[in-house]
Amino acid sequence: MKKIRRNIRTGFFILLGLFLFLLGYFCYGILFYGDRWFANSYNVRVRLNQVEPDIIPGDILDRKGTVLATTAKKTIKGENGEELEYYYRTYHKDARATAHVVGFHNPQYGRLGAEAFHIRYLMGYNNNFLERIYQKAFLPRENGNNIQLTVDLDLQRYISEKLGNRKGSVVLLNPRTGEILAMVSHPSFDPNDMETVGEDNLVNRATQGLYPPGSIFKVITAASALENGDDLKNMVYDCRGTTFIGQAQINCYGKEAHGALDTAHALAVSCNGFFAHLGIRTGWEKLLRTGNLFGFNQDFLFDDIKVVASRLPLSSKVSKEELAWDAVGQGKVLVTPLHMAMVAAAIANRGVMMEPKLIYSVIGRRGQMQKQLEPEVFAIVLSPENAMLLSSMMELVVEKGTGKGARLGDIRLAGKTGTAEVQSTDGQKDQDHSWFIGFGPLDEPSLAIAVIIENGGSGGASAAPLAGDILYKAMQMGY
Amino acid sequence: MPEKHYEIASLALRYWFVALIGTIFVKCLLATLKDFKKSDGNEGDAERISALVVFLCLSAFGLLSVQNPEGIEIWVLVLGILASALFLFQFFALKFFFRGIDPYLLLMVDTLSVIGFIMLHRLDSDLAFRQVEWFGLSSIFLSIVLFVTRKLKTGKRFFYPLMGAGLILLLLTLILGEEVGGARSWLTIGEHSIQPSEFVKLIMIIVFAIDFSQAKTLKQRIPVLIFAALAVLLVVLQRDLGAALLYFSLFVFLYYIGTSDWKVTAAAILSGSLGATAAYHIFNHVRVRVAAWRNPWADVEGYGYQIIQSLIAIGSGGLVGSGLGLGKPAVIPAATTDFIFSAVCEEMGVLVGIFIIGFYILILMKGTTTALKAHTPFAALLAMGATISLAIQSFIIIGGVIKFIPLTGITVPFISYGGSSMMVSFGALGIMEGVADQSARAEKEQEGNGSENGEEDEE
Repeated sequence: MKKIRRNIRTGFFILLGLFLFLLGYFCYGILFYGDRWFANSYNVRVRLNQVEPDIIPGDILDRKGTVLATTAKKTIKGENGEELEYYYRTYHKDARATAHVVGFHNPQYGRLGAEAFHIRYLMGYNNNFLERIYQKAFLPRENGNNIQLTVDLDLQRYISEKLGNRKGSVVLLNPRTGEILAMVSHPSFDPNDMETVGEDNLVNRATQGLYPPGSIFKVITAASALENGDDLKNMVYDCRGTTFIGQAQINCYGKEAHGALDTAHALAVSCNGFFAHLGIRTGWEKLLRTGNLFGFNQDFLFDDIKVVASRLPLSSKVSKEELAWDAVGQGKVLVTPLHMAMVAAAIANRGVMMEPKLIYSVIGRRGQMQKQLEPEVFAIVLSPENAMLLSSMMELVVEKGTGKGARLGDIRLAGKTGTAEVQSTDGQKDQDHSWFIGFGPLDEPSLAIAVIIENGGSGGASAAPLAGDILYKAMQMGY
Repeated sequence: MPEKHYEIASLALRYWFVALIGTIFVKCLLATLKDFKKSDGNEGDAERISALVVFLCLSAFGLLSVQNPEGIEIWVLVLGILASALFLFQFFALKFFFRGIDPYLLLMVDTLSVIGFIMLHRLDSDLAFRQVEWFGLSSIFLSIVLFVTRKLKTGKRFFYPLMGAGLILLLLTLILGEEVGGARSWLTIGEHSIQPSEFVKLIMIIVFAIDFSQAKTLKQRIPVLIFAALAVLLVVLQRDLGAALLYFSLFVFLYYIGTSDWKVTAAAILSGSLGATAAYHIFNHVRVRVAAWRNPWADVEGYGYQIIQSLIAIGSGGLVGSGLGLGKPAVIPAATTDFIFSAVCEEMGVLVGIFIIGFYILILMKGTTTALKAHTPFAALLAMGATISLAIQSFIIIGGVIKFIPLTGITVPFISYGGSSMMVSFGALGIMEGVADQSARAEKEQEGNGSENGEEDEE
């Protein structure tokens, strides 16, 4: 009997443990994912009822107050000839430029973008109990709240025009606050006319597009070496245009031999050999640690925007060859443009990576501020000294290296180009993706950018000049 | 009442329901903790808590009766009053006839049942009505089980008949059974369908308690081992994975508790894991379940549909819920049975969800205390078996609908709609209460005789 009592206690504690885990997981899920489950576009509970709705969704404004999305009303005849109020969402005439940020809310096509992710505010579900009671009791229909985004319509339009027919994405951030000043994805679509939209056009490449980063990843490799106390000053490498690591033959762009290089110049000319060897020297553990710190392999649970996780699949099982390819951004690494803009912004902000913010404010029915932008630190990724060091290396890229195309006269910029090799679906080698990440002005960086142009060729040739133009325009506009 | 007035009332009453259920929970928690620390004196505020349960039932059905804009629906009120009356009668009658039972255990189970009535009425008023009927019948079943358990000393003569009956039930289901929701686990008799695998649970508890409370060699245990293995195999063939998991856990826990034989226990766990791995590779439906658990978002319209609708519902409720009648829990598949937890979370709030999990933890604690107080190994194993069965079952299904573990279809004890499920859950409760009453009487007798030679009771 004694034994049985002892065993009963053991059994009890096992079961109690299971239940406590269950309870913990439940609370964790609600806390971190509850709002995301709610905002999911498969949630039929928050759909706008078009005929005689209970709730009228609020407007979406840009940072200057221009209305990007609103609810319009018309009168239609019901089945028995009675007059019914019919509501529908309509968008700014230049909505193509903001299509992926704002998204759409359409009973037939579902929801996307801020229209989906911030439905809680737009439909007024964040209102407190008294406000909800008041609205139900005294208003003919309940009102959602307006949200003001951090993006600038003029900038969006400028970038969209500049991209033209090219596929790709541009993300412009304020590195100090994390505000998303512009986020463009091409090809775009017109949310006012959803009938002819192709599937590919709906993908927000800035947050959902996973691309090989190519040479812009060398910034992470360099950061890892620096943060792990590698004395890069003494590293000199003689580039012959091609090098062997294990079985892998790693060529520089165009098999160009760069000669003897220190780190800064290796970054400037984007020498693959140098960074492949640096990656091997740093080792997968340290590279992975730095990568994770920079946000790789993480479910980004940002408050304002849904971003897929970037991938840096390093482990003890990864071969030397693969590690070398990863270190130059050409292995199995995959990134989103928004994440790369965050990387640039973190270096600009002296190693402090800010959480990207899309909501400038939420404005209630009577014009009262319900929520305002509060910058949040996402991670400290670098020491201030190393951030400065990396920043000066990246300045050399724009001054003398592959990023010359982005140069803006006497405004000092820092950047890194990338030329990502891609295989098309039929296994043929496609034209490379063209990347640029950067920030400026260097005295006090207020802008960070990531540009990708799909199949745009080398980073220096197409992405860098575009980034330069956009940064210049944004500075002119006072950002 | 006009629609808007109902909405306002429902929004406001959310807080009342959460507060009420919270109060019941806290009171039961305090009582359970007191009991758990072995200080005697079960007499407390059980009567007062029963009043709270009645409040909960009446206010919820009062609210639901005005949901229809065309006027008060009297029959909804009547249903609420009927449910309250049944509850009060059951509670006080059992307390009167069986002085030794644990009133809190009964109260917690009844609270869960009432939450079930409310939610079921919200989802499908016919089902709520039938569920209240089942509640009445289950209460009778509960008294019968309680009465029998109280008298049961070793139960040895039922050993073989019970095993035989269990296996025949399962075999019959496999041959004649009807498929509902992918599992072939329903047996239709006349107009009624029953789920024999539920009743086999009770048989299993008793059979295991009989066998494992006796000192035997492993060879002598072969019949019960075969019975356990066959039962698990038969429900796996019925594709009733939840029941299989439950039977298996019941065996492992009770075997270890009764015999302290960790070698055979470890072997059982090992073969169970091997069996699960084999099932994963052999059966497609098992693989689909696992895939839906790992990443339901990969196929939102397909295999991930159920779990995603469940998560969306939970996320839509918030802390205090959308208000009764204001959510859309009907969108969730099987909202009245397997997924009723998500439906409750949506309309009554995540807090109530947490309280429900809390109630199952308290039932586990109460059941354990009862088992510890039992005077014979057989009674201890019976009580613990019933406790484990309820605990594992609630864990499996709640864990399943919140994506903590792969989903296996099984009902939420006391809350889900279903006659078989209600009966068997109350049967398990009957076993626990029976053991509690038995040991309370034995204690009294000892005190009365002044004899010191009872079962050793030291810890």
